[in-house]
Amino acid sequence: MIRSVLVANRGEIALRIIRAARERGIRSVAVYSAPDRMAPHVLEADEAYPIGPAPASESYLRGDVLIDVAKRAGAEAIHPGYGFLSERAGFARAVEEAGLCFIGPTADTIAAMGDKTEARRRMAAAGVPIVPGMTDAVVDAAAARRAAQEIGYPVLLKASAGGGGKGMRVVREPSGVERAYDAASREALTAFGDGRVYLERYVERPRHIEIQVFGDAHGNVVHLGERECSVQRRHQKLIEEAPSPVLTPAEREAMGTAAVRAAAAVDYRGAGTVEFLYRGGEFFFLEMNTRLQVEHPVTELVTGIDLVDLQFRVASGEPLGFARADVRMTGHAIECRITSEDPYGGFLPSTGRISHLEIPAGPGVRWDGGIQRGQEITLHYDPLLAKLIVSAPNRATAVTRMARALDELLVVGVETSASYLRSVMDEPDFRAGDLSIAYVEEHPDLLRADLGEQELVAAALAGALLEEEHRERHRAPRIASSQTGMSAWRAAAGPWREDE
Amino acid sequence: MRYYVTVGAQTFEVELGAEGMRVDGRAAEATLAHADGTPVRGLAVGVETYRLVAERGARGRWKLHLRGRALEVDVLDERTKAIRDMTGAGVGTLGPRPIVAPMPGMVVKVEVAEGDVVQAGQGIVIVEAMKMENELRALGPGRVSRVHVRRGQAVEKDQVLVDLESIEEAR
Repeated sequence: MIRSVLVANRGEIALRIIRAARERGIRSVAVYSAPDRMAPHVLEADEAYPIGPAPASESYLRGDVLIDVAKRAGAEAIHPGYGFLSERAGFARAVEEAGLCFIGPTADTIAAMGDKTEARRRMAAAGVPIVPGMTDAVVDAAAARRAAQEIGYPVLLKASAGGGGKGMRVVREPSGVERAYDAASREALTAFGDGRVYLERYVERPRHIEIQVFGDAHGNVVHLGERECSVQRRHQKLIEEAPSPVLTPAEREAMGTAAVRAAAAVDYRGAGTVEFLYRGGEFFFLEMNTRLQVEHPVTELVTGIDLVDLQFRVASGEPLGFARADVRMTGHAIECRITSEDPYGGFLPSTGRISHLEIPAGPGVRWDGGIQRGQEITLHYDPLLAKLIVSAPNRATAVTRMARALDELLVVGVETSASYLRSVMDEPDFRAGDLSIAYVEEHPDLLRADLGEQELVAAALAGALLEEEHRERHRAPRIASSQTGMSAWRAAAGPWREDE
Repeated sequence: MRYYVTVGAQTFEVELGAEGMRVDGRAAEATLAHADGTPVRGLAVGVETYRLVAERGARGRWKLHLRGRALEVDVLDERTKAIRDMTGAGVGTLGPRPIVAPMPGMVVKVEVAEGDVVQAGQGIVIVEAMKMENELRALGPGRVSRVHVRRGQAVEKDQVLVDLESIEEAR
């Protein structure tokens, strides 16, 4: 077993990895940019090293600095988390070449799956169903238009190097191609340093269902069932759950088998996720994420397997030690992503200092967070503040449990997605499990905060009482000072100063 | 004192008097308590209890955190409401609104030039923040009177990017 690990990440995922390391007796080494000096992942780790200023390109993305710190700290392994350097084949290779263990698949596997057109080619060859479309990037807007004509509208333009919704555009008619091509290409260039774009058929109103796979260094690959992540906005997931409300056991095994075939085709080692679009029993390979996924906790809660711990064991050379038949899925789990985005302001990123935080607790509630009171939320990093996850014996109970947990959550100082997520828990289609990736656009009413009559009256009374209290406080000092002078003003100011 | 409190689309008349409280004429009972050293308040409406955190914005605007919801309420006293009703302030300004940066970011593309006539919903400026492009669109028709930014320029939240004038005004 490895004895020490450098966690090349920040926020909730860094803390998640540090927690798993601590439980295994593995020494954890955190790294931090200047503004993260007091961040939770730094305070919880065994050791911490500064790696640069706020911009990720000068800190968390500096592979050379991270490897250097790992050597200085005597860390045996580097865990990249998700995002940042987790899917950079060059980084994985550099880590191995430095004599350290990269917790993830090999550089060759990452490279094969990271290039989306290359991945499609390989998957088609391995017999995994793919969305009809191109296997090569287009050279310009005119070529994109020709390709779109061939595939048939609507088409989806995607970044070859992409993921996470960046550099993606849907086009419904020829006149929209040029504009979409320019935007997708530009976005891909900024996000991934590679502006290449390819096209595929746009599957209308599919579900997003993905399979968690795990491979070891001994050639075993097993799947751990699915997660449904259909509630998303601009391809950014908002809510994930396991199992999917619609998959039959037969469909689950068919998708699982395809995912295992996909992983085996690239000699997969460690945790990975094969994403599919699903519609009416049909499913198509979307992409493979060669890392731990943000939404991994829902799989942990229904399988009872600690995926980060398993990553440590597999990276240490241990065999998986179980087969598909040994994996038992029980109950239902739901995750809500709590992000610093304003759902009522077009989901634009919100910044500020977290002045107060109350974290939900109680039966079946898990909080994977990376925030604390006093922390400044900036635009430098991903807006994911925390994940709120619940588990229950069945889906209906999990939904009401999530509603209850969201009622308990209080994040003050920055706008969050929580209010919106809370409204989703009451929405009939969500409750019925009637989902597609168009869910958010098809339910615009959720973008208005909805309250019952009782709560509206409570809010109105609160507003009046607060305003009255505020006015009384601001009136009092003037009266006091005119009567008795400055000392009385101070005396009067004392009790309420903390509030202002 | 009588207040007009707007929560979402609804406005309530709340009277806080010596003889008790009334909401839209119906008797009510409510108290606010404060937990020491925290911004948390306990709101009791009759026997119903709520955990509440409130932040005050400008001119009677409050942000409330209540039962998993973050909501904005506007609180006006009778006199202010009468003045607003008379002048029509807050109902909407004359002419098209300028295009304003909703967050700090970078201008990726300016899609209009000064003098262009634009329609409601037409894309005006693309601003990138957090590696996502956001297209800012005109809320109503108008003519571009001034473009304040250019491609590649960093912009602050609330910075005016493009001014629009009404089409009549331009003639």
